Amino acid sequence: MKPILTAKNLTKSYAKGILALNKVSFTLDQGKVLVVMGPSGSGKSTLIRTINGLETFDKGELNVLGIKIRADSDERKIQKIRRRVGMVFQQFNLFPHLSILENITLAPIQVQKRNKKEAEEYGMYLLCQMGIESHAKKYPGQLSGGEQQRVAIARSLALKPELLLFDEPTSALDPERINEVLDAMRRLADQGMTMIVVTHEIKFAKEVSDQVLFIDSGKILEISSPEVFFSNASHERSRKFLNQIN
Amino acid sequence: MSKNKKIFFQILLVFGVLGFLGILTNNLIINLTRTGIGFNFNWLTKPASFSLAEHPLPYSPSDSYAWALFMGWMNSLKVIISSLVLASCIGTLIGFLRVGKNSFFRIITAGYITVIRQTPLLIQLMCWYFVGFLSIRNNSFLNLSNVVNISNKGIELFGLNLSSEFSALLFGLSIFSSAFIAEVIRGGIQSVPVGQWEAFRSLGISEKQGFIKIIIPQALPAFIPGLTSQYLNLAKNSTLAIAIGYADIYAINDTIINQTGRAVECFIILLCSFLILNLSITKVMGIIDKSIMKTRI
Amino acid sequence: MNNINPNLNTNLFKKIKNSLLAKSKYNFCNFIFFLISISLILKILTSIFINSNWEVVTSNLNLYAFGSFPIDQQWRPTLWFFSLLSITFITVYGPKWKWLRKNLIFGWIGTVPLGIYLLSGGLGLNPVMTRHWGGLTLTILITSCSILFSLPIGILLALCRRSSIFLIQKSSSFYIDVMRAVPLISVLFFGQLLIPLFLPVGLEIDRVWRAVIAFTFFVSAYIAEDIKGGLQSIPKNQIEAAKSLGLNKYQINIYILIPQALRVALPAITNQLIGLFQNTSLMAILGLMELLGVSRSILANPEFIGQYIEVYIWLASVYWLFCTIMAFVSKKLEQKMTINKGY
Repeated sequence: MKPILTAKNLTKSYAKGILALNKVSFTLDQGKVLVVMGPSGSGKSTLIRTINGLETFDKGELNVLGIKIRADSDERKIQKIRRRVGMVFQQFNLFPHLSILENITLAPIQVQKRNKKEAEEYGMYLLCQMGIESHAKKYPGQLSGGEQQRVAIARSLALKPELLLFDEPTSALDPERINEVLDAMRRLADQGMTMIVVTHEIKFAKEVSDQVLFIDSGKILEISSPEVFFSNASHERSRKFLNQIN
Repeated sequence: MSKNKKIFFQILLVFGVLGFLGILTNNLIINLTRTGIGFNFNWLTKPASFSLAEHPLPYSPSDSYAWALFMGWMNSLKVIISSLVLASCIGTLIGFLRVGKNSFFRIITAGYITVIRQTPLLIQLMCWYFVGFLSIRNNSFLNLSNVVNISNKGIELFGLNLSSEFSALLFGLSIFSSAFIAEVIRGGIQSVPVGQWEAFRSLGISEKQGFIKIIIPQALPAFIPGLTSQYLNLAKNSTLAIAIGYADIYAINDTIINQTGRAVECFIILLCSFLILNLSITKVMGIIDKSIMKTRI
Repeated sequence: MNNINPNLNTNLFKKIKNSLLAKSKYNFCNFIFFLISISLILKILTSIFINSNWEVVTSNLNLYAFGSFPIDQQWRPTLWFFSLLSITFITVYGPKWKWLRKNLIFGWIGTVPLGIYLLSGGLGLNPVMTRHWGGLTLTILITSCSILFSLPIGILLALCRRSSIFLIQKSSSFYIDVMRAVPLISVLFFGQLLIPLFLPVGLEIDRVWRAVIAFTFFVSAYIAEDIKGGLQSIPKNQIEAAKSLGLNKYQINIYILIPQALRVALPAITNQLIGLFQNTSLMAILGLMELLGVSRSILANPEFIGQYIEVYIWLASVYWLFCTIMAFVSKKLEQKMTINKGY
C-alpha cells in the first residue's frame, strides 16, 4: 500500500519555548482512516492544519502525495497540496453570500478551471450523495448545522481530493445532528477515501478508523489499531483520557 | 510571492511611481515658472496689506502674512473650541431625551435629528447668518440690560463682544454637530445591556440615580470613538466660515492665495495646520479614553 | 395598560390621550410643552405660507432644476431625471427576476454615461457647454459621477492597505489618513487651483470635472475606511476555508472578501453618498451654479433681494427630500440583501 502522507519529526514552537508539536512522525497509507485524539490544547488541530499549510512548522519534513514540504517551503508548493487535499472545519465556514451550489462550484471553476456546467452537475451529484440536493439554491443561513456541515463535506469533495482532513467536524453540532454527518463520513470511508479525522466520537473511531493516534502536549504518545487503543491502551495518559471522555 | 519577487516588484513600483511623480512635478515647475510665481516661503514676512474684521490679538495690515495666518489660527481655535463645548452640551441633552421615557420628547428630538442631519451644513449656516442675525434689523432681538444683548451686530454677553459672523458660525456648527452627537450618545446608551436597567430597577434604585450611577459609566467608553470622529468633523466643518465672512485659517489662506498667487505653498501650510489640529484632537480624546478605561476593572 | 392594538392610529391617539390627560405633574408639564410647541409651529407655518412671497421660488423653478440650460433642450436633463427615477423605482419595487437583479448594477452604472451624453451633447444632440449646466442637474451629476469613480478606487485603496508589500501599504494608508484629516472645502478649492498646474501645457480640464476629480479623491478615502471595516468583520475562518480549497489571494479577494465587505459596509457607503449630495453645496463657494449657487444668484437679483427665508427654506426642503429618499432606498436595499442572503 502506497503511503499517501509521511510526517518526519514535525516540530513547531510558540514563544517562551512552548512546543505545539514535538517531533511528530507518522505515516498514512492510501485508503486508510486515521483518527487523531487528545485532550484540548494537545496540538491535534495544529497537526492537521500543518498538513494543508494553514499552520507552518519550524523543523521536520512533510511528504504529502509526493510533494515535499519543509519549514521554509514556498506558498506555491503548499497551494499544490491544497488542490488535492480537502479540509472540513469545526465551524463549517461556508461562504454566506453564495448559494449552496455556488459554494460547491466556486473552487472547481476557479482553481481547477472546469467549466460551469460540468462543475454544477458534479456538485448536484455530491449533494445527492449527502442527501441534501433540495437545498441547492438556498443560502447557508437557511440550513441547519448538520446540513451545513454536509455541504462543507460536499464542497471539499468537489475538487476530487485524494486526502480529506476533518478538524472536529461534529463538535459544533447539536447532538441530534451529529449522526447525519458521521454517517456521511462513514460512507466516504467505505468508498475508500483516505481520511484524517480529529474527533472525540469514540463509537465512530472504533467502527471506522484503521489507526488511532493519541497526542498530548504536542507529542505523539501512542499510535495503534482501534481494537488495541480502546480496550488496552499502552500509555497511562491515554487510558486517563479515555476514562474522562467515556 | 517569494521574497525576491516581492522586492523586485517593489523596486519596479518605486520607479513607476517616481516616474509618474516626476512628470507631474515637471509640469508643475513648467507652469509655475511660466506664470512667474516660483516656490518659496520668503513672502511670509512681507506685509499682508489686508485688514481683518476680527482678531483676538492686535493686528494691522502692515503685519506680516505669517502673523495674519496666526490670527486665522486663533480665530479658528476660538470658534472650534466654543462650538465643541456648546455642541457637546446640546447634543448630550438631546441624546438623553432621545432615549428617555418621555415619548413626547423622544418624537420631537427624533424630528430635530432627522431635519438637521439631512440638510447641508452650508445652508444651515447661511440661514443662521442671513435669516438669523442679519435680518434682525435695527432693534435688538433680546436685551437683558448689560447681561445679554442679541442684535444684528452680534451677541454681547457679560461684556464680551461676539460678532454676528462668529455667533452665526457658533450656533450653526453647534446645532449641526449636536444632532450627530445626539446619535452617538443614543448609540452608547443603547449599547448598555438591557439587563443592567432591569437590575437596578429591581433593586429599587430610582431612574435618575440608576441612569447616572449605573448606565452612564458603562456607556462612556462607547461614546469616545463616535465623539472623536464628530469633533474631527466639526473642526473640519469650521472652514465653512469663509461662506459667511469669518476670518478663520482657511479664509485667510484663501485671501493670501488671491493676493499672492502662492497656491502650492499655502496648500502645504493649510495641510499642516489641519494635520496638527487632527492629531491634537485625536490625542486629547485618547487621553480621555485612557482615563475612562482606568476606572474600569 | 398593555394594549396590543393592531390599529396604529388608535394606539397613537391613546398615547397622546394618556400623555395629555394623566393626572401626575410629569404629564402636566408635557401638556404645557405640547401647547407651546403647537403654537410655535402654527406661528412659523403662518409666517411661511401666508406672510411670505413664494414667487421667488415658483418663477425660478426652471433655474433651480436646470440652471442656464437652453430652454428648448431642457427635455434632455428631464429625460435623465426620468431614467434615474425609474431605475430607483425598479430597485425598490421591481419584480424579483434573477436576470433583473443581476443586471441592475449595470443599469445604475449606465445612468452616468447616459447623463453625461444627454447633458453635453455631441453625436446627434446639440452640444451644451458645462457652464450652462446648473441647479439640480449639476448637483446630481457631480454626485453620481463622483460616487461612480470613488467606489472602485475606494475598494482598491482598502485592498492596498492590507497588502503585504510595504510600500503599497504605507502609501495607501498615508493617502487615506491625509484625506480624512483635511476639510473638504480645501480639497475642492485646491482641486480647482492645483489640478491645472499639474497638467501639461495646453491640456485643460473643465471646472465641473475638476470638482468631480476633487470629490473623488476625497470620498474614496472615506469609502476605503468603510470597506476596511467591512473586511475586518469577515471571520478569519472564511479565508482559511477559501485557502483550503486552493483559491489564491486574488480569487479570495474577488469572490469571498469584497462581496461580503460591500454588503457589510453598505449602510456606511450610502451615508457617504448622502453626505456627498449635501456637500456639493460647497461648490457654490467656488463659483459653480449648482442648487445653492443658483439660489445665491437669484438672491442677488434686485427683484428678489432680501427674500432669504423663502429661498433657504425651499433649498433646505429640496435637500431634505432627496436625502430622505436616498435613506429610504438604502434601507430597502439593505432589507432586500438580508432576505436574499439568508443572514
